[in-house]
Formats: sequence, structure tokens, C-alpha cells
Amino acid sequence: MNKIYIVEDDRSIRKELAELLNNSGYETECLVDFSDAENSIINSKPDLILLDINIPFVNGEMLLRNIRQKTDTPVIMVTSRTSETDEVLSMSYGADDYITKPYNPTILLLRISAVLKRVSKDNIKTKYRNLQINLAKGSLSDGRDEIILTKNEMIIFQLLLDRQGQIVSRNDLMTTLWDNEEYINDNALTVNISRLRNKLADFGYENAIETRKKQGYILI
Amino acid sequence: MKFGRFLSDKIISIIITIVTWLIIWDFLAVFHIKAGQIFIIGFIYFIAETSKILIEYFRRKKFYTDLMTNTENLEKKYLLSAMTESPDFYEGQIFYDILCETNKSMCDNVAEYRKSSEEFQEYIELWVHEIKLPVASLLLMCHNNPDIDGKYNEQLRRIDDYIENVMYYVRSENVRKDYLIKEVSLKRAFANTAIKNREELQARNVILRTENLDIKVMTDSKWLEYIIGQIIANSMKYFSADREPEIFIYATDSNEKTILHIRDNGIGIPLSDMPYIFEKSYTGSNGRTRSKSTGMGLYIIKNLCDSLGHEVKAVSVPDDFTEISISFGKNDFMKMQ
Repeated sequence: MNKIYIVEDDRSIRKELAELLNNSGYETECLVDFSDAENSIINSKPDLILLDINIPFVNGEMLLRNIRQKTDTPVIMVTSRTSETDEVLSMSYGADDYITKPYNPTILLLRISAVLKRVSKDNIKTKYRNLQINLAKGSLSDGRDEIILTKNEMIIFQLLLDRQGQIVSRNDLMTTLWDNEEYINDNALTVNISRLRNKLADFGYENAIETRKKQGYILI
Repeated sequence: MKFGRFLSDKIISIIITIVTWLIIWDFLAVFHIKAGQIFIIGFIYFIAETSKILIEYFRRKKFYTDLMTNTENLEKKYLLSAMTESPDFYEGQIFYDILCETNKSMCDNVAEYRKSSEEFQEYIELWVHEIKLPVASLLLMCHNNPDIDGKYNEQLRRIDDYIENVMYYVRSENVRKDYLIKEVSLKRAFANTAIKNREELQARNVILRTENLDIKVMTDSKWLEYIIGQIIANSMKYFSADREPEIFIYATDSNEKTILHIRDNGIGIPLSDMPYIFEKSYTGSNGRTRSKSTGMGLYIIKNLCDSLGHEVKAVSVPDDFTEISISFGKNDFMKMQ
């Protein structure tokens, strides 16, 4: 379980953010005493830091620079400042991503998982039961047969696989697809899921994707 | 400064001189001075008076001609006192000093308003950052609580849109241009905008079509995303009831520039409204009849584009389509950096 360190001085956002991350399967720790932010963060040894720019005592960008000198822990800057200058400055100080408030929670989770994947490359799942996923070719193979997935099907399959055993909402699937510049609508999503189901069924995995009414889909 | 006008202005003093001369002449004649001597005296008197006028004229001519040509040529006429030299005659100096004095007072006055406008802007920016915190909080709460319906999210999105409008209006009107130009992918900028507007686009069954967006342009990504968002929001306001709503986003690329086109199949803009659509507070007949419009959207877009050095244009056929296009200039020097 990855541990995410939240540096956020707005108490309400901090609480909700922690809840969001806990619900999504992350362990969280929040900075409460901002007077010695740097050491508190480093001593906690998190896997990822969510860092606000406007925090008491020290500017978030300076804090980021100091953290970078001591550790490579990925940092996502989260801020209500929507200026390109802040973003460029943060990235130049070594931030891994930059998100502005108010953010879409789904997007935030996507970015977090993307950054975590990038850092620990072995985290990318390339196997589903006995199926090998070939991302370069966009195909699934069980050693004998190989089936090509469309780009949309692959995006859906990867997200489901990433959260195997958990419910993935249609909203999350849709956001992920749009984030990958695939602007499909509701019907197309349903069609894509049923095609993906059929392709998995061809390998003998009938009912690999279950539908949970009003909640979403789950890859068994 | 015209000599004739100057002379006619001096008419009284000239008349006094002539009358004085006639009286002197009269006296000289009474004392039996010879005509030749009277002529010499008259000639000296005439030379003295004429040179007085000429000297007076030429001293003034330099100062006033400078003043007039400067006034005519200066684009910013209030710089006049700085562009004109102080004259070497007394009344001119009085006038010049007063000019400088009023100018300074005007500058102080303008500075005061600029300062208060800047302070107001700073406050608005601060306020925008503050108001975003509870919005962010509420969005998270909605997401964390599965029982909460999407309609709350929708209203939060509306609030966020209005906040953005205020911020970009303030930014676009501002003398202090706080943007940063760098390489931005059109594909990414559009994806970010599309995700932000996804719920509304899907609720209205809008078909999004993209083509050839894999191009990078020199711009400020945040500003560009706001501009695209505004154009899409406009399209959504004016869709036609009798066809499937569609927005087609594509880019055309040439050696000098890249143009981003955003085309919808909505009701279009009446020809008579076209020349005014980028003007402040212009609502047009669509804005008046279809939905409440503030007439600020396109004005802000135009202002932001002007600041960034992009050209924004609109083409429309009523009841067929509206296409807004933004041209991004290419500059090899900027790319090298």
C-alpha cells in the first residue's frame, strides 16, 4: 500500500483529500504542524507527496526545492494558483506533476497513479491471469492465440486491471478515456465494454468483467 | 505660428506706434525741422519698432511651433511638456511652468487610480484563490459521498466557471500581463478543457470530433485552456434544436502560423451581429433571445488573444455553423530557446 503525504493547510480539504485517498486504497499522513514541514515530511518516508504552494511559514516552492535536495520522493504540486509561471517554477524545482484547485478528484487520482507507476516501473501490470498484455502491439495473448484490442478497449482494460477486484465507476472510465483524448459518449463506452468482454470470453474468461448496477464495473 | 496672425494680434501696439509717430512728426514740423531730417528720424523709429516686433516674433515662434508640431505628432499627448524645451521669454516660461505643473498633477492622479486598480486586482486574485478552497472542498465531499447526486457537482462547476470568468476578465484588463509563453500541445490543451466540460458535453449529447491537433504552439497553456473553454461554452449555448450537436476541433498548419479552428453546427451568428461580436457587453440577437448573455465572453477572449499576440476570428453562416479560429504565430527564435 502506497503512502501519500498531504501538505495542505485548509483543514476541510485536508480531511476530504485524506478520505478520498483512503477510499482509493492509499495510506495517508497529513502535515499538521507547519513549523518544521521539511523534516516532518522526510521523516515520514512517504511514497508520494501532495504539496500545496500556499502554506504557512514556508513557500511551497521553496519547500519543494529543499525536499528535492534530500530525497527523490515524487511530489505533485496542488494549488489554487492558476498561473503558468507557478507551474513552470514548480516543475523546474523538480515537481512530478502540477494540479490546480478545484481539481476533478478522478483526475487527481489518475495523476497520482500515473506518477507512482512512472517511479516504480515494476508496478505496471502486464499480466491478467494467464494473459500477457503487449502494450506496444496493443494485444492480449495466452501464448497460443493473440487478440488485438482497440485503443479504447486497451485503456478500459488497463484501468480495470489496475484496480482489479475493485469497482471502477463509469465516470472514472470516461474521465480516463477523455484524458487519453478519446472523446467517446455513454453508448460508445457500453459498446466498448461489451466488445472487451467478448474478447476476454474468446480466451475462455466468460464474465471476467462484472457489471455492478449504478456503481460501475469490476474485473474479477 | 503664422506671422500674419501674430501681426494682427499686435494691431493695437502698431496703431499706437503709428499715432505716436504722427504726433512726433507734427511736433517736428512745428519746430521747422527739415523734411530730410524728419525722414531719417522716422526711418530710425521705423527700424526700431519693426525689429522689436520681429525679435518678439522669432523668440515666440520657436517655442510655439515646437509645441504645436509636438502636439500633432505625439500619440500620447500628455508627454508634451517632456518633449518641449523651456522657452527663453517670460510669459512662455510662465505658461511652460503651468503646463508642467498640471501635467504632474495629472500623472499623480492617474498613478493614484492605477494603484487603486492594481490593488483591486490583487484583491480579486487573492479572493479567487480563497473562494477556490471551499469549492475544492465541496467537490471532494461530493466525490467522497456516493449518495450525493451529480447535480451538486454541476452547480459547483458553474460556480467555478463564474470564478474563472472574473479572474480572466481581471487578467485581460490588466496592465501587468502575467502570462508565460511556452510550447503547448494543442491536443493536451483541448483534452484538459474537454475533461473539464465533460459532464455538460455528455448531458447534451455533443459529438466531439478532433483532427490534426498533434501540434505544438507558443502560448500560455492556462489562458489557452480558458479561451477554448469559453468558445465551447458559447457553442453549447447556441446549438440548433433540429440536428445532433457537434463540435469539430481541428488545426491547420503553415510555415508562418498554426490556426486552431473550433467549429460548431449551431444556430450561427446573424450577419448584422458579426462586426460587433468581440465588443464589450455586446449581446447580439442570439444573446437576447436565446439565453441570458453578458456579452463578455468573446470580449475577454479577444483581449486575452491580443495580449498573447494571437489573432482571433469568427466565421458563421446563420442556421449552419459558427467557427472561431485562433492563429498562433511561429517564431523560430522562441522555439530555439
